[in-house]
Amino acid sequence: MQKKDQQIFPSSKNKNSEPGWIAILSKSMQDFFNEAGEVSKFAGRFFKEFLFPPYEFREILRQSYEIGYRSLPLVGITAFIIGLVITLQSRPTLVEFGAEAWLPQMVGVSIIREIGPVIIALICAGKIGSSIGAELGSMKVTEQIDAMEVGGTNPFKYIVVSRIVSTTLMIPLLIIIGDTIALYGSYLAVNVKGSVSLVFFFDQVFQAITFSDFIPAFVKSFFFGFAIGLIGCYKGYNSKKGTEGVGRSANSSVVVASVLVFIIDLMAVQITQFFGFI
Amino acid sequence: MMDALVADQKEKTLRKEDSEAIIEIVHLQKSFGDNHVLTDFNLSIRKGENVVVLGKSGCGKSVLIKCIVGLLEYDDGSLKVFGKEISELPHPDLDEMRARIGFVFQSSALYDSMTVKENLEFALRRHGKHKSKEEVKGLVEETLTNVGLLHAIDLMPLELSGGMRKRIGLARAVILKPEIILYDEPTTGLDPITAKEISYLMLDMQKKYNISSIIISHDMHCARLTANRLVVMIDGINYAQGTFDELKKSSDPEVQAFFETDEL
Repeated sequence: MQKKDQQIFPSSKNKNSEPGWIAILSKSMQDFFNEAGEVSKFAGRFFKEFLFPPYEFREILRQSYEIGYRSLPLVGITAFIIGLVITLQSRPTLVEFGAEAWLPQMVGVSIIREIGPVIIALICAGKIGSSIGAELGSMKVTEQIDAMEVGGTNPFKYIVVSRIVSTTLMIPLLIIIGDTIALYGSYLAVNVKGSVSLVFFFDQVFQAITFSDFIPAFVKSFFFGFAIGLIGCYKGYNSKKGTEGVGRSANSSVVVASVLVFIIDLMAVQITQFFGFI
Repeated sequence: MMDALVADQKEKTLRKEDSEAIIEIVHLQKSFGDNHVLTDFNLSIRKGENVVVLGKSGCGKSVLIKCIVGLLEYDDGSLKVFGKEISELPHPDLDEMRARIGFVFQSSALYDSMTVKENLEFALRRHGKHKSKEEVKGLVEETLTNVGLLHAIDLMPLELSGGMRKRIGLARAVILKPEIILYDEPTTGLDPITAKEISYLMLDMQKKYNISSIIISHDMHCARLTANRLVVMIDGINYAQGTFDELKKSSDPEVQAFFETDEL
C-alpha cells in the first residue's frame, strides 16, 4: 500500500529532504522583485527616449488609431451593457427604500467615479495589452526588431515609446466615451419601467456629479493607459524565442496589466481620500 | 591538420593587393554564460569579396555577423569595420555605419504591418538620403525590378512565398546601396531552384554594386556559386579557409565533412 502511494505521489517520498515552501516562496519573491526592477528600468528608458528627439509622431498617430479607434466597438458595447445592467439591478433595491428617483444620480456617480474607468481599463488590458504583447513578441521572434535596429532605427523609440504614448492618451478618451455610452444604457434601462426624458435623466446625473468625482477618475485613467502600454510593451519586447514565448507574453501582459489596474485604482482611492475628494 | 589551408597562407594567395580590408576581425571572443561561442576568431574581408562562412548549427556563425553589425556586444578582441572599432562607436555613429551595411535575415524579418513598398521605403525615410517622393518611388521600383518582384510592390509580407520574402529581404538590404551585405543563411528552407536563383541574385548584386559580403550558409551549392573564399568555423575559430576547390581537396576530415554531405 505504502509502495503504491509512493508511485502515485512520488514527491511525498522525500518530503523532509525537499527545499520546501520557504525556498519556493523565497525564489518566487526574488523573481517578483527582479521582474519589478526590470519593469522599472524599462519605464525609465521609456521616459529617457520619450523626452528626447527625434519624435515618431506618425507612428504615434497610427498606433492611436489602432489602439483607440479599433477598440471603440468593444468598449462601446461593454459600456452600454454595464450601464443597462447596473441600472436594472439597482432599481429593485432603490424601489424598496422609495428612492427610485435617485437612480440616475446613483448610477451616474458609480459609472463616472469607479465602474466606468476600471471596467473599461480591464477590457483594454485584455484587448490592447494582449495585442501589444503578442505583436511585439512576434516581432522579436521573427527578428523584425533586430532588422529595425540594423536599419538604423531606434526600435525602442519607434515601437515602444509610440505605443505607450498612444495607450496613455487613448485609454482616457475611451473611458470618457465609454462612460457616456454607459449613461445612455442606463437611460434606456430607466425607461424600461418608467418614462424619463433624456434631458431630465442627464440633468439628474450632472446634478449629482461634481469635479471631485470626475477629475480623480480622469487622472487615474492616464495611469491605467500608461500601465497597460508599459506592461504590454515590456512583455512583448522581452519575449523569449519561439511561438510559446509569444503566447506567454500576450497572456502575462493581460494578467499583470489587469492586476496593475486594480493596484492603481486602490492607490488612487487612497490619494483622493487623502486630499479630501471623498 | 590545417595543412595548406592555414589562414595566413591563404590570406596571401587570395589577397587582392589593390583592395582595402573593410572588415578586420582579430581574436574575437563572445560567450553566453559558460557557452563560449567565439573563442578566437580572425577574419579579414576586402572590398568586393564574397566570403562564405561554413559551420555546424549553433557554432556561432550568426553571432559573428550580429557582432559585426553591433546587435551583439563581443567580450574581447577587435572588430573593425571601415577602420572603426565597433565597440567604441557611439550610437549615432553606429547607426551611420549600419546604413553602409545591409543585413539579410534568415527569416527575412520583413515588417508584417507594412506592404513591400513600405518595407523598402522605411530604411530610405530613416536615413533621409532620398527626400523627394519621386526619388523614393523610383529607387523602390528600381530595386524591386532588380530582384524581379516589381509586381509584388503592394503586397503584404504574409502574401509572399518564402523565396519572394528572401528576395524582398535582399532588396531591403541593398536599397541604401551598402558597401557590405551580411547574409544569414539566405537559402535555408528554399527549394533547390529558388535557392539557386537567390544565389545568382546575390552574385548579381555583388557585381552591380561592388558589394562585399559575408554569407552564413550550410548550402554548399550556394557556397560554390557565390564564394570567392570559404571559411570553416569550428569551436569558435576560423579553422580553415580557402577557395571552394581548395577546401574540397582538403584531407582534413572536419573540412571534408561539409563536402561529403552534398554530392557536388
